[in-house]
Amino acid sequence: MDRSRSARDTMRDLLPRLVLSPTVALIAIFVYGFIAFTTYLSFTDSRMLPSYDLVGAGNYTRLFGLRTWDIALTNLAIFGTLYIAICCALGLGLAILLDQKIRAEGVIRTIYLYPMALSFIVTGVAWKWILDPGIGIEAVVQGWGWESFAFDWIKDRDMAIYTIVIAAVWQTSGFVMAMFLAGLRGIDGEMLKAAQIDGASTFALYRRIVIPQLRPASLSSFVVLAHMAIKSYDLVVALTNGGPGTATEVPATFMYSYTFTRNQMGIGAASAVVMLMTVAAIVVPYLYSELREKS
Amino acid sequence: MGFLDIDRVTKSFGAVKVLNETDISVEKGEFLVLVGPSGCGKSTLLNMIAGLESVTAGEIRIDGARMNDVRPAERNIAMVFQSYALYPNMTVRGNISFGMEMHKIPKAEREEKIAQVAELLQITNLLDRKPGQLSGGQRQRVAMGRALTRDPDVFLFDEPLSNLDAKLRVDMRTEIKKLHQKLGTTIVYVTHDQIEALTLSTRIAVMYAGDVQQIGTPQQIYDDPANMFVAGFMGSPAMNLLPATVARAEGGPAVRLDLAGGEAVTLPFPRATGLDAREGEAIVLGIRPEAMTDPEGADRDSGALHRVDLPVDVVEPAGSDTYVTVSLGGKDAIGRFRAHTAAESGARAPFVFDMEKAVAFDPDTERRIA
Amino acid sequence: MAAPTANAVTAGTGDPARTGGTRLSARLPRLVLYALLGAFCLYYLLPLYVMVVNSFKPLEEITSGGMMALPGSWTGAPWRTAWSEAQIGVQPTGLRPYFLNSLLMVVPAVTIATLLGALNGYVLTKWRFRGATVLFGLILFGCFIPFQIVLIPMARTLGFIGAAGTVRGLVFVHVVYGISFATLYFRNYYAAFPTELIRAAQIDGAGFFQIFFRILLPSSGPIAVVCVIWLFTNIWNDFLFGASFADYDSQPMTVALNNLVQSSTGVKEYNVHFAGAIMAALPTLLVYIVAGRFFVRGLMSGSVKG
Repeated sequence: MDRSRSARDTMRDLLPRLVLSPTVALIAIFVYGFIAFTTYLSFTDSRMLPSYDLVGAGNYTRLFGLRTWDIALTNLAIFGTLYIAICCALGLGLAILLDQKIRAEGVIRTIYLYPMALSFIVTGVAWKWILDPGIGIEAVVQGWGWESFAFDWIKDRDMAIYTIVIAAVWQTSGFVMAMFLAGLRGIDGEMLKAAQIDGASTFALYRRIVIPQLRPASLSSFVVLAHMAIKSYDLVVALTNGGPGTATEVPATFMYSYTFTRNQMGIGAASAVVMLMTVAAIVVPYLYSELREKS
Repeated sequence: MGFLDIDRVTKSFGAVKVLNETDISVEKGEFLVLVGPSGCGKSTLLNMIAGLESVTAGEIRIDGARMNDVRPAERNIAMVFQSYALYPNMTVRGNISFGMEMHKIPKAEREEKIAQVAELLQITNLLDRKPGQLSGGQRQRVAMGRALTRDPDVFLFDEPLSNLDAKLRVDMRTEIKKLHQKLGTTIVYVTHDQIEALTLSTRIAVMYAGDVQQIGTPQQIYDDPANMFVAGFMGSPAMNLLPATVARAEGGPAVRLDLAGGEAVTLPFPRATGLDAREGEAIVLGIRPEAMTDPEGADRDSGALHRVDLPVDVVEPAGSDTYVTVSLGGKDAIGRFRAHTAAESGARAPFVFDMEKAVAFDPDTERRIA
Repeated sequence: MAAPTANAVTAGTGDPARTGGTRLSARLPRLVLYALLGAFCLYYLLPLYVMVVNSFKPLEEITSGGMMALPGSWTGAPWRTAWSEAQIGVQPTGLRPYFLNSLLMVVPAVTIATLLGALNGYVLTKWRFRGATVLFGLILFGCFIPFQIVLIPMARTLGFIGAAGTVRGLVFVHVVYGISFATLYFRNYYAAFPTELIRAAQIDGAGFFQIFFRILLPSSGPIAVVCVIWLFTNIWNDFLFGASFADYDSQPMTVALNNLVQSSTGVKEYNVHFAGAIMAALPTLLVYIVAGRFFVRGLMSGSVKG
């Protein structure tokens, strides 16, 4: 009697952990185990199939010697910087404009934000043809009679990367707007009244009081945008498929083609590890500070 | 041994000790109030009695049976929470019935019990509402109803009135007291409100920093506080704690208090016979505002009334009383005068000290010495 | 006296120097403000407009520079072609089978991940144990990893368990990487759920699962909606896993759409592409329009940690 009772008690004490264990197992294997596995592969001579023969850091040396990888990194730098900067500027600007007691704010907000519900593939398809000189903006403007008008960035090796910025900003800036808007709405109204009584001009009010208080929203936006930029794959595939040539290659497309179509799995794995490290460098400190504050 | 025994109970979270070897023994039918400022360990102790928190060391017994490893549901206790903790998705009936359902009590019996409790607490008309549709006072009743269905050995209350507005709090206080008188259940009640403690309890345990400072009847706690913490915590306005010196006057013990501007007053202090040996030493004199009154308001039966004229700093009318502040021993001391007093700030006013009600503390140990 | 001041601040009208109403609008004419906001509405709506109008045009109208114009002659043919006739895989099946694949993938994946997330959130907040925060951090990191890091081993694993190239396999993958987000949502929601309620239920004698199913779950409606919408959108819109792990029979809608658009053979049927793009967008767009409030909340809590 006493023993069965304590067995039941032990069971009850274990239950919470038991319930959590499938998730812990899944995450342990499919996140951390897989990270370890891919990292291991990045030090092997894997080509079409995984191989377990270690070759030291050779894949990394070769990776950073590759022109395509160089292009991919440069593209990521250009894309990432512009994408984050424009999204934040546009998002903040729109949020401030929308925070002026606008009639029909709900409708406008809905319009600004709907692209976020779309797949990047859909966005890619739409912009691919809008930017296509044959049928898109260029053709339309020429059709209106401005024969010399040219807008063929998507076919231009030097400019194609900017078309990805255009489409990506279109998709995400509304979301950044929503984050800043939530931040603005969280600011204490009495403080704003106090600042007005202190004689702050509108400009000073925003620059000195409002925008500094949007730090948490800015930080979150930055982290989300940065990690989306590094992961971005679908949009590039749908919009330019890395082209023309390799002009819009980014690390995500590089990883995919080296691993699955060019049979250079070791290098593909190495590129994936570099991507992970970059994301981790941004996300880990962020998560750490968020979780520490709360507990 | 009492009905509920807290026997050398300690609670630590890691290296932090929140409760030190606490001993409390509660008799059957007693209404014990645990009172103290936040962080004193009173809620932790209550949670340990409920079984919601583990006991680090020591033993908790109910009716002689060790409870340390018994689950909350099997301790035959009931608890009313500060937030009432009503299940938002269930009706009032569902809330009251839930615990009985969990204990597999047949439906007919549950219905009967619900009707009975609802009658007692006058919530019969609320039974089919959701908690969200109830006022604070109504939720409070439902929470008590839920607890009552269990016929518990011990009733636990965790600051149950602190979310109510002032007027409702007074009403509910009376109702809880009535309920206790009617049912005679053993109650342990946690609060930080010393008035609640004094009005409700049959005994009070004043807690501070993880220790029970004093345990006793409301009268004992109020009249003879064991130390300066208890003296300062219980009573409103608080007891005046004034630096003083032991002296002699009229052939008996006395205390001398400095006034502003180099003057001093000496008050005979007949209770302080134990202080003879300390003549000339510093002590802390504890005197409640109602023992520092205008001459007309003084207690005629006291054998130790002393009248002194003192310069008044502040006069604060408070409706039924007027509080008059003077500087004594370098501190502000508050006297309780009748509503229509002639005292004026800046002028002198006559004060009558009832030294039978005064106490003295050792300034170093802070314990009461007279 | 207080009322006019408050009005000036909230409405942003009147003389700023006198009333203290200095929000931007007090200086910037409202007209300019609305013009700006309207211009951005056009910017965000333009691609949708292009997709919709061109999906109802005959191909010649598009290729002759009429992309921005309304259809000269309306036609439903591109929709029919995209849905049931276009050659995507081996057979000219249109997008229909892939739409179905996506549905078969998204429904079980969302259901399982949400349930697991709810249970995890419950344990992590109400049955706290040593290391719970660290564990949560480790789970949370799963929301942020670039999935490229798991592509190779996951492809091997799916082959190993015989789920390569199947919808089943995709469901599994999406459950695994959806749990992190689901756990995040429920954990943050349950963290704000009063612990006293759990304690009351414990005293009432309810056990682990009774508390979950009788007390917690009935109050989880709002967060469940947020979680379901978020997972639905993410999984429906996924391309990387679909492209990596599906074969011709199991491809989801996004992959099929991309194949349709990228196929280099024959004439580019832009109108069919646009119709297909709308089909791929419709489910998530519908969710957004019907339950936008929850969608936004999901976006927010996915980034600003509750």
